[in-house]
Amino acid sequence: MRLRRYVLLRILQLVPVTLVVIVLNFLLIHLAPGDISIILAGETPDPAYLQHVREMYGLDRPFLEQLWRYLVQVGSGDLGMSFRSRQPVFDEIIDRIPATLLLVGTAMGLSVVVGTWIGARIARRPGSAVDSLVSAGAVMLFSVPVFWFGLMLILLFSVQVPILPAMGMSSLDGPREGIGRVLDVAHHLVLPVLSLMTVSVGQYIRIARTSVAEVMGESYITTVRAIGFPDRRIVQHYALRNALLPVVTVLGLQLGLILTGAVLTETVFSWPGLGRLIYEAILARDTPVIMGAFIAMSVTVAIASLATDLVYAALDPRVTL
Amino acid sequence: MALLRLPDGAPRTPAIVISLLVVALAVVVAVAAPWLGLPDPDAMEAIPYQPPNARHWFGTDNFGRDVLSRIVWGTRLALIVAVVSSLASSILGIVLGSISGYFGGWVDGVMSRTFDVFLLIPTFFLVLLIVALFGQGLQYTMIAIALTTWPRSARIMRSQVLSLKSRVYVQSSRAAGASHPWVLTRHVVPNGLAPIVTDGTILMGFAILTEAGLSFLGLGDQNAVSWGRMIFEGQRQLRIAPWLSIFPGLALLLLVAALNLLGDGLNQAMNPQLRRQSIRARGKPPVDLGPPKAEDAGAPILDVRGLKMEYRLPKGAIRAVDGVDFTLPRGGSLGVVGESGCGKSSLGAALLQVMAPNAVYTAGDVSVAGRPILKDGQVVRAGSRDAVMDIRWTRVSIIFQSAMNALNPVLTVRQQLMEAYRLHRPAEDEAAAVARIEALFDLIGIPHRRMTAYPHELSGGMRQRVMIALSLLHEPDLVIADEPTTALDVLIQDQILGEIDALRRRLGLGLILISHDMGAVAETCDRVAVMYAGEIVEIAPTSVIFGDPRHPYTRALMGALPTVTGPKRPLETLAGEPFTPTGDIVGCRFAPRCAMATDRCRAEAPAPVAVAADHLARCHYARDDARIPA
Repeated sequence: MRLRRYVLLRILQLVPVTLVVIVLNFLLIHLAPGDISIILAGETPDPAYLQHVREMYGLDRPFLEQLWRYLVQVGSGDLGMSFRSRQPVFDEIIDRIPATLLLVGTAMGLSVVVGTWIGARIARRPGSAVDSLVSAGAVMLFSVPVFWFGLMLILLFSVQVPILPAMGMSSLDGPREGIGRVLDVAHHLVLPVLSLMTVSVGQYIRIARTSVAEVMGESYITTVRAIGFPDRRIVQHYALRNALLPVVTVLGLQLGLILTGAVLTETVFSWPGLGRLIYEAILARDTPVIMGAFIAMSVTVAIASLATDLVYAALDPRVTL
Repeated sequence: MALLRLPDGAPRTPAIVISLLVVALAVVVAVAAPWLGLPDPDAMEAIPYQPPNARHWFGTDNFGRDVLSRIVWGTRLALIVAVVSSLASSILGIVLGSISGYFGGWVDGVMSRTFDVFLLIPTFFLVLLIVALFGQGLQYTMIAIALTTWPRSARIMRSQVLSLKSRVYVQSSRAAGASHPWVLTRHVVPNGLAPIVTDGTILMGFAILTEAGLSFLGLGDQNAVSWGRMIFEGQRQLRIAPWLSIFPGLALLLLVAALNLLGDGLNQAMNPQLRRQSIRARGKPPVDLGPPKAEDAGAPILDVRGLKMEYRLPKGAIRAVDGVDFTLPRGGSLGVVGESGCGKSSLGAALLQVMAPNAVYTAGDVSVAGRPILKDGQVVRAGSRDAVMDIRWTRVSIIFQSAMNALNPVLTVRQQLMEAYRLHRPAEDEAAAVARIEALFDLIGIPHRRMTAYPHELSGGMRQRVMIALSLLHEPDLVIADEPTTALDVLIQDQILGEIDALRRRLGLGLILISHDMGAVAETCDRVAVMYAGEIVEIAPTSVIFGDPRHPYTRALMGALPTVTGPKRPLETLAGEPFTPTGDIVGCRFAPRCAMATDRCRAEAPAPVAVAADHLARCHYARDDARIPA
């Protein structure tokens, strides 16, 4: 019962975030130069559609009523129409989610595994030369401009040694179904994932290193050493398990950065996901899509932060709900 | 950056020095750009698509512009974005964070929630939206960065203000009639600034990357040379002129990495805790004595000769265990007493080789049941396996001081006991393990249903009982109990000690009871060793220690012991600070606090003196025939 109450309470806390984001969006629209109806409708030459938009958002009404209408509109999931495709923005975004999810999910998963593994390894000898080098290397990693790194990967593995595809999610003449399709997508996934991993893998190395080193200094680690567990097993089994908690926290906090990286990566590799959609919308000055993406991304990050808290609570028995 | 005062003892690590140099170089280059004798960054004068050569070090682009010159001018933009947006963000954060922390109450409640909300807004997407609505311009980029990052410094400032607010000097200056804003700026803001500067360095790197990403999408300022824009333009020529993309990216990486490394280094310099972790001492190499020989049934369970162990600290070594000898027969019990810091707990950890990473052995031999586990200060191993692994928990186990910390907080009691059981008896199944654990719980008096509890769900006494059950899991010959009752209240203390004593007699256990409580030791142990400054200063049967103590320190400890049955007398207290065994030690370690110290004591370190066959005391005047000249 307490768990359910906690979950409910945390979900309720999503409301203020969503409100702030929508209000911010609304204010920006009103502060921006130019006709609001054109901003909301996109640069359409169709006067009938413009009139429709004016009525829908109540643009001739008082300011506060406009805000209210906007809140209700967006709150009900109506993010407007993309003037480019004449599709609801909501549907456009939903359509692109799978590709982005595949890219972001793979990159994040690999980052956590690889980063935690490296971090835990160097934590066994804190202060050693290897530790200093790898730690500095981790800082370098999250200083890498992800789009530039993507270009360099293309230069190396698609131009110099052409073994990996640099564009898109699948080959034009590739298999359309079955295992062949999976392999084809996986082949296209390699470079974008590698480039997106630079955003987060360095953070995980550092977090894992710090928290494993910290946990290794705890009394209960001394206990298991005294009991006779071998060092390797202590790190893998005990220290890592306890050190995973901070890793989980970072996972949620990092999502905004990773989504940013995804937009840039998708642009470099023409990956047909959300980032690509946003990029195309920018080129075509399709403002409804950009606004929709801003709201969608903010809410996603807020939900991720909520999920992080819940996972944390589930992993650490000391968190009393 | 030079204005920032590094705290005393902050390491000037290579990372900090190199990153400072890189940042300084970037600043110099950005300021001096017009006078470096480089071609105009926008002049399309050279032949296009020249690879790097003697005239154009980084080559030329598709319009015949010099890439090096453009990178140099791009440094300006990068630094402007970095400084302006992080400054705006910090100022906004400092003001709002200070207000929130200073006024507290509902103001703080509302504002803290606001920080959280703004932190969740992804910067880059807000920038995209602003640029889409307002058009391209550097100012919008910087505003958006400041708008989504200010809660970072606001949070730091808030907690700084909260902690400083409670300190006396702020309170007293308020009492003296100072106004709110004055107090805030005069005391609180300067103190909270250091961590914000550190975070600001990292924020600068973030701002540069954000601007570069934006320019890479073609949304940067059209009128300025930007590294991101150079990469954006260069990517179309990636195949024929890769240098157009490579060099600006390297410049970005170099500057951002320098800023991040700098922030990271400063952070570590300001948090000494982060540094202390990294001290790891290297002791003597292990010695391989080949496969362990058969056990000697007649040998004492524990034999310790000349054991020396020291902690390596930045300021020198502390010899926590400094030449300890004793022997414990099977089933025997020894109390080790002394003030905190005398080395008694270090001795316990040293016996099982579970010291802190900065501790090393410098000398000594330890054998368990006749098998050496430490020889001449070298850890004994056979092949790749330390000899101590054969005795940990199966022959010798430890009950640690505070069971709250000594048990893993994220595993249930059952899981922890189960894993310890299966470790040494991998062949046995779960049922056997459960049976053993239940038997132990019965022995110690813990209800079976408490098995599935996490340590934090148990009372202090229960946790300590679990710790005892854990120590008895593999029927060891010797249990080292390190202050097993210190964290408990008096009633439970007696109970637990009584249980340990009863178990010892019932199971024929050897026991080393480490305690500062003379009373506890008197009830439980056959023999008592008194430790002072890393040495055993007196060791004798319990009745002798209490009845005829010979070392002045032992007598002082007795004097500090209240008595219920004896005549009423004022409790003695021991004046002076305990001695820290470090550096060259001349004379008796207790002499500075000893009421009876003579010139000989101050000049000559006493060797253990045999008072009786079973009684050693490290004092020149321990024997009757060597009483202090009156």
